[in-house]
Amino acid sequence: MKDIFKGELVRLSAVDHEELGKAYAVWNRDSEFTRFLDARMVSLRSAKSISSFFEKETSEALPNAPYFAIRALEDNRLLGDIGLFVVNNWTPRDAFVGIGIGNRNDWSKGYGSDAMKIILRFAFTELNLRRVTLNVFEYNPRAIRSYEKTGFRHEGRMRNALLRNGKRWDMFYMGILREEWMEMNP
Amino acid sequence: MKDIYRGTLVRLCDDSPEVMAKAYSKWDRDTEQHRLADSDPAQLWSEKKIKETLEKRAENNTKSFRFSIRTLADDTLIGGVGLWISSWTHSDTWLGISIGERDYWGRGYGTDAMRLAVQYGFIELNLRRISLGLHAYNERALKSYEKVGFKLEGRMRGEGLRDGVRFDSLWMGILREEWLAAQGA
Repeated sequence: MKDIFKGELVRLSAVDHEELGKAYAVWNRDSEFTRFLDARMVSLRSAKSISSFFEKETSEALPNAPYFAIRALEDNRLLGDIGLFVVNNWTPRDAFVGIGIGNRNDWSKGYGSDAMKIILRFAFTELNLRRVTLNVFEYNPRAIRSYEKTGFRHEGRMRNALLRNGKRWDMFYMGILREEWMEMNP
Repeated sequence: MKDIYRGTLVRLCDDSPEVMAKAYSKWDRDTEQHRLADSDPAQLWSEKKIKETLEKRAENNTKSFRFSIRTLADDTLIGGVGLWISSWTHSDTWLGISIGERDYWGRGYGTDAMRLAVQYGFIELNLRRISLGLHAYNERALKSYEKVGFKLEGRMRGEGLRDGVRFDSLWMGILREEWLAAQGA
């Protein structure tokens, strides 16, 4: 059996809260990154405060929220993070997935898509989930293309869910079912 | 100005954690009610546990606006409705409602409470949109939400699994300008 945490360009690794806190403090300075990642108000926080936030979130949320760092296979550098959040105490076997690639020089290189492929394999072959769900914002077409490539289908559009730069934007819901993933990965 | 807490069949009010705990512990015994209202597994909690949870929730509440629902005719406590601000910056919110007393299903009480909650969202909280989720098998709720002005925005395929059958989860939304237009404003 192959190593399920390893893809073609990246691998998923354990989260080092201090390292990730430091990295996020830098990534957050790029407000475009934060606005792709999250609907919350963009803010700037110290590495220390981000580390302790991650530490608290991940220790309390487990085992409903498997959470990983994304590292490049070529030089082991930290690219971003990815995590699943299993909804409703596992009964529907559905999880939300969230991903971020922090440095804009690492965007559009296939790292995010590769990490998404790994987490889907983890979701369907390790957690044995039945579906995986995600939200993405209308103003993030790069992410939408990546998710479509990975096998997610459009399931809905929350009209005018966002108000940014004085403009209203929709929020999309996408999902992939176990059998759809199985068909793509025989 | 009219009383925004008062509809044609019900009024929105605030009941103490004691009263609500007693009501919820009764309503939760009705698993059909639970499965219409909730996606979490059915559970039976003692009145004491529910009361403590409600008290704790009330302590640091800045993002939710919750009401109990009572009939105008005889002041019977029939359910609850609440708005949860999902984002102040984008001015969006989630709405949740349940009519715990099954004698009041399908008779317009829920729809009346929905109208009050939506009105509260738009004229008191000044929201831009209100969102809600429901199970596809809850056709009564779907009809009621459509009547209030919500539009179907999406369908999460096979999101739930109950009694061995997969079902879709739906979500709906209403925009401020749609609601204002419907009021003839």
